[in-house]
Amino acid sequence: MLNRKLIEDTLTVALSTGGDFAEIFVEDRTNNGIVMIGGKVESTMSGRDYGIGIRIFKGFNSVYAYTNKSDPDTLIETAKKAAQAVEGDIIDLTINLTKTNVKNINIIQIDPTTVEKTNKVQVMRKAYDTAFNYDDLITQVSVNYTDYIQNIMVANSEGLWKEDTRVRSRLGISSVASKNGEMQSGFYAPGASKGYEFFENLNIDYYAKEASRIAVTMVKARYSPSGRMPVIIDNGFGGVIFHEACGHGLEATAVAKGLSVFAGKVGQQIASPIVTAIDDGSIPNEWGSYSIDDEGTQSQRNVLIENGILKGYMIDKLNARRMNMDITGSSRRQSYRFSPTSRMSNTFIDNGSSTPEEIIANTEKGLYAKHMGGGSVNPATGEFNFAIMEGYIVENGKIKEPVRGATLIGKGSEVLNKIDMVGNNLLQSQGMCGSISGSIPANVGQPMIRVSELTVGGREGEQ
Amino acid sequence: MEMKSLIDKIVQKGREKGLNDMEVYYSAGNSLSLKVFQKELDTYNLSESEGLSLRGVYNGKMGYSYTEKVDETSIDQLVRDVLENAIIIDSEDEEFIFEGSKEYKKVDSFNPTLSNVSEEKKIEFVKSLEEEAFKLDKRIASVEVCVYGDGYGETIMFNTKGLTLQEKSNIAYTYIVVVAKEGEDIKTGMAYRTGNDFNKFNAQVIAKEAVDEAIALLGASSVKSGDYNVIIRNSAAAELLEAFTGIFSAEAVQKNLSLLKGKLNEKIASDKFTLIDDPYMEDGLASKSFDGEGVACKYKRVIDKGVLKTYFHNLKTAKKDGVETTGNASKGSYKSSIGISPSNFYVEKGERELNEMVADLDKGILITELQGLHSGLNSISGDFSLAALGYLIESGKISRPLEQITVSGNYFEMLKNIEETGSDLKFGLPGGAYIGSPSLKINKLSIAGE
Repeated sequence: MLNRKLIEDTLTVALSTGGDFAEIFVEDRTNNGIVMIGGKVESTMSGRDYGIGIRIFKGFNSVYAYTNKSDPDTLIETAKKAAQAVEGDIIDLTINLTKTNVKNINIIQIDPTTVEKTNKVQVMRKAYDTAFNYDDLITQVSVNYTDYIQNIMVANSEGLWKEDTRVRSRLGISSVASKNGEMQSGFYAPGASKGYEFFENLNIDYYAKEASRIAVTMVKARYSPSGRMPVIIDNGFGGVIFHEACGHGLEATAVAKGLSVFAGKVGQQIASPIVTAIDDGSIPNEWGSYSIDDEGTQSQRNVLIENGILKGYMIDKLNARRMNMDITGSSRRQSYRFSPTSRMSNTFIDNGSSTPEEIIANTEKGLYAKHMGGGSVNPATGEFNFAIMEGYIVENGKIKEPVRGATLIGKGSEVLNKIDMVGNNLLQSQGMCGSISGSIPANVGQPMIRVSELTVGGREGEQ
Repeated sequence: MEMKSLIDKIVQKGREKGLNDMEVYYSAGNSLSLKVFQKELDTYNLSESEGLSLRGVYNGKMGYSYTEKVDETSIDQLVRDVLENAIIIDSEDEEFIFEGSKEYKKVDSFNPTLSNVSEEKKIEFVKSLEEEAFKLDKRIASVEVCVYGDGYGETIMFNTKGLTLQEKSNIAYTYIVVVAKEGEDIKTGMAYRTGNDFNKFNAQVIAKEAVDEAIALLGASSVKSGDYNVIIRNSAAAELLEAFTGIFSAEAVQKNLSLLKGKLNEKIASDKFTLIDDPYMEDGLASKSFDGEGVACKYKRVIDKGVLKTYFHNLKTAKKDGVETTGNASKGSYKSSIGISPSNFYVEKGERELNEMVADLDKGILITELQGLHSGLNSISGDFSLAALGYLIESGKISRPLEQITVSGNYFEMLKNIEETGSDLKFGLPGGAYIGSPSLKINKLSIAGE
């Protein structure tokens, strides 16, 4: 994407004021998005993102500069400006780039740019028709189609020089059900690190019906009760509980500066012994997977928690210095506009031994969260929240009537110890994760789990 | 000028390929951000960036495309994408290129003195912000984030109906998040300032605001679940309004995605509630003279003493409803198609200060922070259930801090139950819009805790 000489010259200028590491990142990305509302294509947008980021380290400190221009003068000038922010003794570093091939873990069958847009619209129309015709109560359906191809190059003063291509595809289906002047919505958005074959093989019927089923169920539901109670969280997107309650607190971004409640706790019991949690960016074709991270490190499987014991964190190059620990292939960014840092990829609680039927049958009274929305966390305090999209009352070991409008809250360190049953039906689900280096695709996942006590924020009083 | 010649070439290519009306939107800018950690300049970021988008009409439909490689090599892609995208549009709602308003009010959102502030001064400021925070209280264990940043942006809009508009603006911001610790108890506090007058940033005052917030929350616990009278403090009320802004969009109304459909000129909120969109507000960070379609912006009351007066329109939705556009077309960036957004959008302030409102409550809860606003609410149903921080009010006084609670309700119902608006109008961090609210006293919301 840039020639060797220009990369080496740029890195040399970046290190000319005392920096001890320099990196250049080039991104050339083609985006394609189509929005269908009420069965009509409402808007479409295609475009090309193009930019270059230059990063310099000096000890624990970093400088980052980006530009959209790739001509030699602008690049050298940008490197010079960035270098001006660094002060120190100049280290004599010889830069000797070696281009290494990247082992591609996400094999793409159909390049989405070769597919006619009318075919993409057909996929959307099928989702729309299925979702809209699901029930008379469905009053609106929106469908979002997205595909992109992101070509990147990363090179650094240690001699690393790699290029990679990431292709991702996603279909979002949002259904609205109306009844007696009230509206409720249901949402499903499967995605993968795949080309157009993702849409060809997708079980559109299932996802479209699920989105509508959730909306229809919720418009008929009463408000959720409030208070502390046992909560069963189903597999798939339910894994957002681990993502928020713990995952963010295990990112080096929070740990390196001692700002996470989990800092300094490797080797300690931080969760119930039945909890094992993994972050794995190397699963072929998954939404949160990548062959190399945005620093050029190969993705890998990182065991975060094993049988309740904290095994490790997700660590990027800069924070690895402060932590004096190894990098884990976890450094990610939304685009060249962001300096990369440690982030999650596909993060999930691993299978346990209970069947979902056992978990429900063993719960005398509580709440069953079948589908979850998103959430957030304050890593310093560990306080997290996430929304239930579809909930049910559980009584005497049976799932009873549906309830709506509840949020679950707690503190990460507490909730991990209160997981008292883990199912055997692990499923991953797709989301976008927003944090310091932007919004990135990430999987959350888990089998069905039970938390012995969580605060449920509903609108009705106690059960 | 170089840009003009590129635009001419794009338009020429578009014509060759059969495009009718066309519009080019170009924006460029630069930014600086400085972050301090333990007295060192931990992160130094700078950028220079630009992007260009094209939209054009083909067979009566509007197609869009953009590029960040702003040179002649992108012309073919821009035109081809516009064509391909226009062809698949099958909505009957007509989008069109605008020839220009009669008059544009001048808006001054560029402050030249900001670009004259030296980098040393900025670094000195952000370092002193961190230092002040540590000085204020021994229980401040760390400063999680301490940032100063500023940016400059300019946009050019040019279309084949003869309209050329230009605008430039600059902005500075700073924020700090402090961590207070007492035993095992950890609390965070945040404070921010935005604006384009660097001299108005006072490190001592900002640090104190964040520290006071964190310290006051130490020792917080939950509260018994139930229905309480609630005061939502200004910044939290502004965030809640921001999350529900979409319900006022005519697009959402026309697409059956807003419960405000059919409610024009009806009473939908309490008499105390007036909601204003003012693109010319002094110090408004979303002030502008023209909207995303080049239409002159205008002042409007969206809700006047509880009565819904208008939705937000762009040219497309206005034509569909047979009304005049309200000048609320949004173009978030060259990457966005035309949407709808308010400008400086706020709840009109009332008479009394927050402490007077608190003094009135025999028992109630003051909510100071709402969390999970992107997930814990549904703008279609109006339902919300949000994690919150705040204080218990007993006998007209703040009695203790609260954590691990949620506040739940329905926004449409809540609007009817607003008993008072405070005098403390405050705006949130600017995004596409700049949204503000005073503290709001609500007759009963559901609180979940113990």
